[in-house]
Amino acid sequence: MIPAWTNDVLRYMLEQGLVNTLKIAAVALVGSVVVGVTFGTLLTIKFLPLRAVIRAYIEVWRGLPILVTIFIIYFALPAVSLSLRFDALTGAAIGLILWGSAQVAEATRGAVQSIPREQHEAASALGFGWVGRHAFVIMPQALRRLLPPLVSLLVNIIQNTTIAQVIGVNELLESGERSIERLNAPPPIGLGEIHSFEILATVMLIFFCISFPLTRLAAYLEKRLT
Amino acid sequence: MTALLALDFTFLSDTWSFVETNFDELLAALRRTLQVSAIAIAGAFVIGLVLGAARAHRIPVVSQVAAVYVEIIRNTPILVQIFFLYYGLPQIDIFLDAYTVAWLAVMLWGGAFNTENFRAGFEAVPDRLREAGFALGFRPVANFLNVTLPVGGRIALPSSINTYISVVKNTSLMYVISYPELTTTVLQIQALTLETVEAFTVLALSYLIIVWTMSALIRLLESHLALPEAFK
Repeated sequence: MIPAWTNDVLRYMLEQGLVNTLKIAAVALVGSVVVGVTFGTLLTIKFLPLRAVIRAYIEVWRGLPILVTIFIIYFALPAVSLSLRFDALTGAAIGLILWGSAQVAEATRGAVQSIPREQHEAASALGFGWVGRHAFVIMPQALRRLLPPLVSLLVNIIQNTTIAQVIGVNELLESGERSIERLNAPPPIGLGEIHSFEILATVMLIFFCISFPLTRLAAYLEKRLT
Repeated sequence: MTALLALDFTFLSDTWSFVETNFDELLAALRRTLQVSAIAIAGAFVIGLVLGAARAHRIPVVSQVAAVYVEIIRNTPILVQIFFLYYGLPQIDIFLDAYTVAWLAVMLWGGAFNTENFRAGFEAVPDRLREAGFALGFRPVANFLNVTLPVGGRIALPSSINTYISVVKNTSLMYVISYPELTTTVLQIQALTLETVEAFTVLALSYLIIVWTMSALIRLLESHLALPEAFK
């Protein structure tokens, strides 16, 4: 009933494609959170030049399509200086971090500003400096508010890893595309058959199985907060 | 310092000459990006309005079908959806050309997100407003058109414009089906002329100008269409 090629293709997609997808997503998530939380917290300091620089960073990387950002990193930076050459996987991860950190920075700013000023004053009274105050008093409270948008961000990052396909990273979508081409090749290499419908539907299904529980989780966390 | 300034000026004039030399292609590409976006935004508005109302009022069958549509679109990458429409469907004898896929893919994507925007907007309308409408003798449809839509539509407006901004940005993904919109065209010119930095400067600035204009519009509308205190 189930054709023989499905086993090989599925294994290839899960072992090569999905692993790379998750690898990029993990790096992009960690990078986005670290950079984004830092920039978002710094954005609450009333020092105009610093705020202007971070604001520009947010508006540029949030405004550009991620595909264009990844193209700029992968194609334009090496044209400026040869030391700025990255392999496709790193380039895609950097592009996603630039976009993701801009999202996180904006959310962090809101979360930090939602903490009442009494908390700042109480922490100062206990002898905390700016860094200690934010690291030990403000951030732990702001993180609660930040959790739902961070889960949504993870979903978006996982879905946007597919854009790495365009510069040739063998993530889930590209592994599906390669399987389609292989099956389409004449025997003995392939089967000379077209299976783009089933394989692309499978790619969608795998993404759905990952994203759906996470979007439910984000909605649940959001609801519990209010 | 002088050298740095000189470098900047040559870069600016190089970028400008890039625009001048390729002006016709760039203008046609920009027009295609804007045209595809406009069709998709109009479609997403109608889809969001109709399905959002069905979801908010729990109209049987339509509401469930809308929920499935929204979850499928929101939980799969739009790039895979584009691939599926353009490379997957021909296997079952549905052939769509690049232009059709270009507006259809972003329209379906925007429609799903807009359904959620409008549903949230309509559900945020206080019950007492609807009850007041019924007390005035409005039938359900008239009540929706005269009470829920004007109030809920305003609540949904900022988030729906955010969705339209994403729609415009997502048209860049039509690069993968070689539809000659802005991104595809600029990359083709870049491949021919190797004016890499100039090409990407023009590409990035074009998108930023469009996106920033649209977000300025949100801020303008937000203050202009803010609901009076009595409606909250």
